[in-house]
Amino acid sequence: MTRYDLIVVGAGPSGLSAAAEAAANGLKVAVFDENARPGGQLFKQIHKFFGSKEHKAKLRGYDIGTELLKEAQEQGVEVYLNAVVAGLYADKEIVVRLGEKVAHFKGDTVIIATGASENMLTFEGWTLPGVMGAGAAQTMMNINRVKPGERVLMLGSGNVGLVVGFQLLQAGCELVALVDAAPRVGGYGVHAAKVARTGVPFYLSHTIVKAEGTDRVTGVTIGEVDSKWQVIPGSEKRFDVDTICIAVGLSSSTQLLKMAGCELAERAAGAGYLPVCSDVGETSISGLYAAGDVSGIEEASSAMLEGRIAGISAAGKLGFAAQEAVTARLATLTTALEALHEGMFAPKNRGKSVDKTEEGYDVSTNLLKKGYLADEEITKYPGVKSVSGIHPVIECTQNIPCNPCQDSCPKKCITVGGNIVTLPVFDEKAGCIGCGQCIAACSGQAIFLVNEDIGDGLAAVTIPSEFLPLPEKGERGAALDRAGNVIGTAEVTDVKSVKSFDHTNLVTFTVPKELGMRARFWRKGAAI
Amino acid sequence: MSANDRSREIGEFTAAPDDDMIVCRCEEVTKGEIRRAIHDGMFNAHEVRRFLRCGMGLCQGQTCARLVKAIVARELGVSQGELEDATGRAPARPIEMRIFASERGRDE
Repeated sequence: MTRYDLIVVGAGPSGLSAAAEAAANGLKVAVFDENARPGGQLFKQIHKFFGSKEHKAKLRGYDIGTELLKEAQEQGVEVYLNAVVAGLYADKEIVVRLGEKVAHFKGDTVIIATGASENMLTFEGWTLPGVMGAGAAQTMMNINRVKPGERVLMLGSGNVGLVVGFQLLQAGCELVALVDAAPRVGGYGVHAAKVARTGVPFYLSHTIVKAEGTDRVTGVTIGEVDSKWQVIPGSEKRFDVDTICIAVGLSSSTQLLKMAGCELAERAAGAGYLPVCSDVGETSISGLYAAGDVSGIEEASSAMLEGRIAGISAAGKLGFAAQEAVTARLATLTTALEALHEGMFAPKNRGKSVDKTEEGYDVSTNLLKKGYLADEEITKYPGVKSVSGIHPVIECTQNIPCNPCQDSCPKKCITVGGNIVTLPVFDEKAGCIGCGQCIAACSGQAIFLVNEDIGDGLAAVTIPSEFLPLPEKGERGAALDRAGNVIGTAEVTDVKSVKSFDHTNLVTFTVPKELGMRARFWRKGAAI
Repeated sequence: MSANDRSREIGEFTAAPDDDMIVCRCEEVTKGEIRRAIHDGMFNAHEVRRFLRCGMGLCQGQTCARLVKAIVARELGVSQGELEDATGRAPARPIEMRIFASERGRDE
């Protein structure tokens, strides 16, 4: 039996972070992962992450994965791939399938970072080919480069449903509807807005009644639900689709923790049984830690911090790091984690409806019910001012932990402040030069540059674009408003693709003057 | 009354229109079979799994564990939080017997 100071199960964001952190402190560390490639879900996250610099904000998931893997390798972490951990026993022994053999390893400390799996929903026809988890669709697109289907319905308006919905559009699929049984969009408003402005209709308070088809999905029927989640007769709507994506939450993969005999409890109603952990992630078994989604569903940025917290704690426990060093490191990591736990989407606010931002602005009900901000409410927010000359329009209206826009502006036009969930404020006196850095820095694609009057009765609008192929300079297309309705013709006057923008392209188009504060998307083809 | 109380009266099994719906795809167990098992006295996810093999197939309950638990809760008239998950057992992932059996050589 081979012994390690630390064994980590799962090479995703938290597992790799834990391993790198511990190895940097001198521990001999092994990571086991059942997949052929490390990184967990990170390599299929093609969008830019939220947070602050310490959370690697505005980097794309796959780049964060590459960085983490490099760090782990440099620290001498041994990563075993295609390594299926079949059992975890008392005394922290694990049984692993490696190729055609079963091998035994013992860790003086063990960190379980097995993540989560997607929840499923049953309805008539749910076992038909073409019904899949949103995560599965994302793997097909972003890892295997296979289009999951042509016409897709997405169930679930949480961040997974919204992000994968947008990626389906990027892959060239048609998203016929975004559906959620809840009366409000569950994910970030900025994610919803970037889907809505392409013209995807949102059906809140709706669920799937049935999927049609004999050997594959050919259609789907949805219906409106009442306050008891029952479908209201007569409210049914039918769509031709070949794919139905389900994004109704994740469940922590706690099997190994259960097997080891850790105490599990239901933390909140409906959250499922989760390991009872100390604030450094140690379970009821001394030296056995849980980090990342397995200890409670969050997202990759907090998973990475939880991994590091468990990693440094394991180092302290085994005497590799002095207590003062551990305490200091934990303080830094905990502060960074707490920053992510602020705002209206914080774990503590789960299930609550937040009607006002921390600054006292009304949270847009349009954004929560339809997925987009209404034209008339946009100027209520501190990032939007209708002024002359070129200026940013920051359509960021919910308290989410994110601040890269603030550092991006060379003229200091944008302020978020010390608390990273604060809404960005645009200072029109700072003198915007129209460089576009803020557009590319905004992970939510919520910043636009607008010159409301460039003469000849026209306004110029610059939008972030992550759709290929990019339009040509001089190409005329349709201008869409925030709701995705065609509101006029738009002529592309500039397309900027710069390395530092990291695949976010800046497309500038002109529209009739009165549409400058309304046009937020450009679509190829005539304005009909 | 605890969810495990065997004296709980849950009434007779009555057929429902979606009883033929598959819940555990790996072992092809239907919703009706699960509901019937509950009325036959399997009062938690663990007992239902032993009785019907739902959750013992290729995915080891990754898809159906939550669904089965929800069905048990509804049938017993308790909240899901009152029901414990089915026990975690090795192997957490399916592994062929020949690979397990190859271990014998170690002690011989």
